[in-house]
Amino acid sequence: MTVSHLLRPLIGVALCLQLSGMAQAQTAPKYPKDTVMLATHSSPGGGSDVFLRELAPHLTRAMGINVAIENISGGSGAKAMAVLAKAKPDGGLFYATTPTFIYTSLLSKTEASYRDLEPLVNVFFDPEVVYTSADSKFQTLKDVIDHARASRGKWGAANPASLERQVLERMKAVTGVRAAVVTFEGGGDMQINVLNRTLDIGIGELGEIKPQLEAGKLRILAVMSDQRVDQLPNVPTAKEQGVDVTVRKFRGLAGPKGTPPDVIAAWEAGIQKVLEDPAYKKIYMENGLQPAFIRHADYAGFINDFGKETEAFLKNSGVIK
Amino acid sequence: MNDILAMVTSVINTPMIIVAAFAGTAWGIIGCAMPGISPSIAMALLLPFTYGADPAAAVVLLASTYLGAEYGGSIPAILIRTPGTNSAAATVIDGYAMKEQGKAGEALGISLYSTLLGAIFGVALLLTLTQPLAKVALAFQPQSYVGLGILGLSVIASCSEGSLLKGLMAGVLGLMIATVGTDPVTGINRFTFDDAELLSGIPPILVMVGIYAITNLFEQASMPAWRQTTSNDASLKMPGPLMRARLRVSQAIGCVIGFIEGLTPGGGGAISAFISYNEARRWSKHPEEFGKGSPEGIAAPEASNGAVSATALIPMLGLGIPGSNSAAVLLGGFLIHGMTPGPLLFTKHYDIVMGFFAGKVVSLFALVILGYIVLRPCIWLVNRPKHYLMAMILALVLSGVYAIHNSLFHVGLALAFGVLGYALKYFRIPVLPMILGVVLGFMVESNYRRALVLSDGDHMIFLEDPIAVGLLVISAGFLIYSLIRHFRDMATQKAAA
Repeated sequence: MTVSHLLRPLIGVALCLQLSGMAQAQTAPKYPKDTVMLATHSSPGGGSDVFLRELAPHLTRAMGINVAIENISGGSGAKAMAVLAKAKPDGGLFYATTPTFIYTSLLSKTEASYRDLEPLVNVFFDPEVVYTSADSKFQTLKDVIDHARASRGKWGAANPASLERQVLERMKAVTGVRAAVVTFEGGGDMQINVLNRTLDIGIGELGEIKPQLEAGKLRILAVMSDQRVDQLPNVPTAKEQGVDVTVRKFRGLAGPKGTPPDVIAAWEAGIQKVLEDPAYKKIYMENGLQPAFIRHADYAGFINDFGKETEAFLKNSGVIK
Repeated sequence: MNDILAMVTSVINTPMIIVAAFAGTAWGIIGCAMPGISPSIAMALLLPFTYGADPAAAVVLLASTYLGAEYGGSIPAILIRTPGTNSAAATVIDGYAMKEQGKAGEALGISLYSTLLGAIFGVALLLTLTQPLAKVALAFQPQSYVGLGILGLSVIASCSEGSLLKGLMAGVLGLMIATVGTDPVTGINRFTFDDAELLSGIPPILVMVGIYAITNLFEQASMPAWRQTTSNDASLKMPGPLMRARLRVSQAIGCVIGFIEGLTPGGGGAISAFISYNEARRWSKHPEEFGKGSPEGIAAPEASNGAVSATALIPMLGLGIPGSNSAAVLLGGFLIHGMTPGPLLFTKHYDIVMGFFAGKVVSLFALVILGYIVLRPCIWLVNRPKHYLMAMILALVLSGVYAIHNSLFHVGLALAFGVLGYALKYFRIPVLPMILGVVLGFMVESNYRRALVLSDGDHMIFLEDPIAVGLLVISAGFLIYSLIRHFRDMATQKAAA
């Protein structure tokens, strides 16, 4: 009887889910830890926090573990990375990854960087979409590009050192048009400038423009993924419209270096199972997420490539030397 | 009429709304009386407790915390010269001066009364006009924010306490502090020394706590022998009819500016509190009393804080776009319960919105009752012998600063600002212009440069936006007026000498 066994009944939310979880856990090899901490640098209510909190009960069911969420805010992920790099690689602590942890590593000298962590698996892509005001004259991405070619485009991205700006700069480069890439402090600020038509287009995650989209105030012109997304079967990708730019804003997990293979295998099985869980599927589809499982063997390479691409972009745009 | 009925029914059906309104207000007052805990942190700390709650009660809890926080932050501002929140920093100036005159009870009474008036004004607008007003937020372009920021900065000319040159120096110093962090246009790191803690800039609350609270502690420590502090009557004094009449203009100014600021995303309570303070001085019959314990100097920023706590929710509810960190946490509260704020919220979740509104009304009563109860022990505390009090303040301030990001580095920064504040005082350089620079610097800079990116470097863009033109003309008028007065004063002084 360990302490965590005694504590188990106290973790109220997980209690009833726990029973079904244990039944399933009998077939799979037992996970070395009873309770797993999932850490995020976002504060309660922020993007990654909501992602983890919604994932937690389903993970409990699929893997037979208790899941606790820990918010390690500060330094845009620098603190969370430092804690993770120092943690024991026993499967007890993981970190919710987003491109932010790569950007923070590249933009500042952090105590530990993304290279000091072991990418575990990927779970989702956040589809990035290009949108415009519902009363603007732009009907397709081509209209936007043509306008920028004839006069001067005004394109908005949420933050100056961000994946979104990177996408717009690439779009500008491959089409060779004149466009001002205007950056803001966060997506809300930019959305207002798309709604009042100060900007031709804005780029952002599908989830964050949902209220305006449902109310018919915004129109999506293109999806920036390599394939159309399930939530928007009728919206073509940028590639289909002749603009060969794609982006994969990932949401996954990373752990300390030296995480044992049996732990990795348990997560590979667990995440795949969770993604097929119909109850969870309903939630994540509504949040505009695209299931994108990447196994451990490929994920390290994926993160590495992403880091290299980002570094090249930041150097080209003069952000870092 | 139907709405009122729906609000009453929702409270009857869900009595938890009343509990939530009181609990949230109480937590907001107490939490934000601790320097370092901002309204958004106080709300975020509650968020995990709302996962299992009734949706309406959950959002009422969070919104009431916001209201309580705006008032709670002013208690230490008045009593120990330590702003509990960013937006309470303007209250420090005259609030602490009144406390030093032994009028703490009166100052706190004015603060409570004005916050309440501002909140009533804001809630009334929230209840009746959320959907049409949300559209006003859309009228603000980057150029308009520049105008708003310049209006705020123009105040430096009139708040420089005698020496315009020193005032400008302090203002520039503040603007320089605001440049630390990520460059708003290129994304290049400025003065961050490769430290991830500085990527998002120096939090204004550190500057304010350093300049006001820690500087004050240094000053106290440098005094040869401590005189017994002016004893403050432990009872709260609500303003009488004469005082209420005197405060009317400054409160109206606070309400209107708080309302505009709440509607426009990206502003924030501290900006509107300072702009209200300065407009109240410009329009006051007794401008000379400002800074020396003017009741109007408390009423204006407090009314503005009360108004912001309600009107900041208008773009969040009506557009789904949060205008401040606190509104963003509340947005998170709605999302957790499966509701997406935005144009369709009122039709899709009518009952919950009405329950939410009812809770906002209940929280106004909670503010009066709890505000009354909490003040007596607070005044009692600051009447303790000075050596205990100062030690307690030091511990409270430093632990509060540490708690913001669990960062010792921030404690060091706040102490450094304390030293800077002490030096400024020694050289008789006014600190208010510097605080204005810190609060407004980033907003003016980022929007100015953003507007120029939009126009390809053409400054005509500022003349094409009517809001920007209006605000810039008003600022220019004030500037010219204070310059004329400044030179006239200098001429009279010379003639007298």
